[in-house]
Amino acid sequence: MSKPSVGIFGLTGCAGDQLVILNCEDQLLDIAGALNIRDFLMASSDRDAGCDLDLALVEGAVLTKRDEAALKRIRRRSKLLMALGTCAVWGGVAAMDRDADRSKLLGEIYGDLGAGYDSVPARALREVVQVDLNITGCPIEKEQFLSAVANLLNGDPPLFPSYPVCAECKMRENNCLLIEKSELCCGPLTVAGCDARCPGLGVPCVGCRGPADDANVASALAMFQGKSVPREKIAAKLRTFAPMPGDRS
Amino acid sequence: MKILKLPKEKLDFFASVVQQFGEVHAPVEQDGKYVFQRLSRWSEARLDYDRTILPPKKYTLPPRETLFQYRAGQGYLPSTEGLDKRIVLMGVHACDVYGLNLLDQVFSGRYDDPPYQTRRKNMAIIGIDCRPDGSCFCRSMRADFVDRGFDLFFYDIGDYYLTLVGTALGDDMVLATGPLFEKASPEDIDEYKRRSSSKRQAFQLEVEIRDLPEIFEMEYQSGIWDELGEKCLSCGSCSMVCPTCYCHDVADDAQLGSRDGGRNRSWDSCLFAAHAAVAGGENFRNSRASRIKLRYYHKHRGFVAEYGRPGCVGCGRCIAACPVEIHIGDVIAKLRGIQNAPSR
Repeated sequence: MSKPSVGIFGLTGCAGDQLVILNCEDQLLDIAGALNIRDFLMASSDRDAGCDLDLALVEGAVLTKRDEAALKRIRRRSKLLMALGTCAVWGGVAAMDRDADRSKLLGEIYGDLGAGYDSVPARALREVVQVDLNITGCPIEKEQFLSAVANLLNGDPPLFPSYPVCAECKMRENNCLLIEKSELCCGPLTVAGCDARCPGLGVPCVGCRGPADDANVASALAMFQGKSVPREKIAAKLRTFAPMPGDRS
Repeated sequence: MKILKLPKEKLDFFASVVQQFGEVHAPVEQDGKYVFQRLSRWSEARLDYDRTILPPKKYTLPPRETLFQYRAGQGYLPSTEGLDKRIVLMGVHACDVYGLNLLDQVFSGRYDDPPYQTRRKNMAIIGIDCRPDGSCFCRSMRADFVDRGFDLFFYDIGDYYLTLVGTALGDDMVLATGPLFEKASPEDIDEYKRRSSSKRQAFQLEVEIRDLPEIFEMEYQSGIWDELGEKCLSCGSCSMVCPTCYCHDVADDAQLGSRDGGRNRSWDSCLFAAHAAVAGGENFRNSRASRIKLRYYHKHRGFVAEYGRPGCVGCGRCIAACPVEIHIGDVIAKLRGIQNAPSR
């Protein structure tokens, strides 16, 4: 089996997903042994910035025209493109209020200089180019990254749970923050894979992994309203990391 | 069946003696709820609990487990880790014993399941009587009393537990405690009968299961299923906490940089959108309505056809765990056309 050529890239984001990869300390030698990592600026300045790739892993959202050009260039270079992290998969925090007036926002923060900034409303990768695979999470789960790579090397698509966090929360036998404490927990709408890390620590789910398959937003909104949480507050919370299902086509 | 009695104040001594039969696990409090857990000391045990978040199935069918390891060119090696651990599960309610008995049929029937069976074989069950709360309907499901599936079963009769000895292992436990157990007197039996009948009166929730499979058959096209589909969050909480839900997913966990790996089993739910998805992108149950409908049909009609009784023991966990308050009592009342839903 010849080693696939791989590039790992970051658009606008916190670089946390690339950091998760570098933090796989016990597996780094296996990763380097299995993959031919040709272009990974965060790890090495010794890179081939133009070679063809079998797999490109891209973190961050498209927030500038420069991001858009970089992403399109990566897409042209690579056979497979995998979005890495909630920003890449869903737009992330930067896309929270993306319909707001951009020039006004830039003006508020940078004053007269704002007009000169390269800044466009945040988009997820799939809104710009074709995306073949997704690993969501803020940041991604190390185990999901490693298993995705292992599966791809065996010629299989990665398989992740698409059900809500509630299921994993119950598997851990946590107390339910939603039912017992009426907290604004996004567990029923958020995709699992984190082993219900936050509810396991008594902290309500903030929805950082984006929506679960077939998330029932209408019923969840009615449920929260029944707990006297105003609709706007729930909607704002649900839109922090990803659009609320139904927001965008 | 041997019938004895154990002085209540000797229960901690009894628990210390049964440690020789395995790790002692019992319900303990967790922020106002209860979970079955290994005891570090007897005072942690809360035998007056209402229900645990997860039923005892977590011991026989853990949420996640590795079935076997595979190695290229060498075949596979069944995973045996933890299977030989002996557990004494104390304080199991009748409904949960019933749930285990049903799972036994599923995992020892047409398809043998060695990991399940080994864990079950290595687990001793000591049952305890309980009082129903507003979500209990085990009596309606004929699961408020069990005549098998336990090694010992304790019934509160005041200063004593009237004790039914269910198995030879249970008898061994009695013998190991020396003179701790006493012979039950006719007065003890009278007290048992008095309490048994008072418990019957205490149920607040009733569900009629006679002709229910037939009613399900008649109501296959009912609008109730669409209503439930609109409400259900597909979160799977009801399945996770159900003593008889056994659906699981099996997937390989490939090892990075080799052809080796492990085959894992994890809990699944028919309510999940991906549950009936197949290669090629088809999904036999794409709508939430069709999925929640399947859950009800499997429990109350499919199980009856296959095992001669419904796959529900009336433990009330699905009622307690549903974020949008889908209530099995309401659903059945609606199907039956009863206007006033059962009292809560």
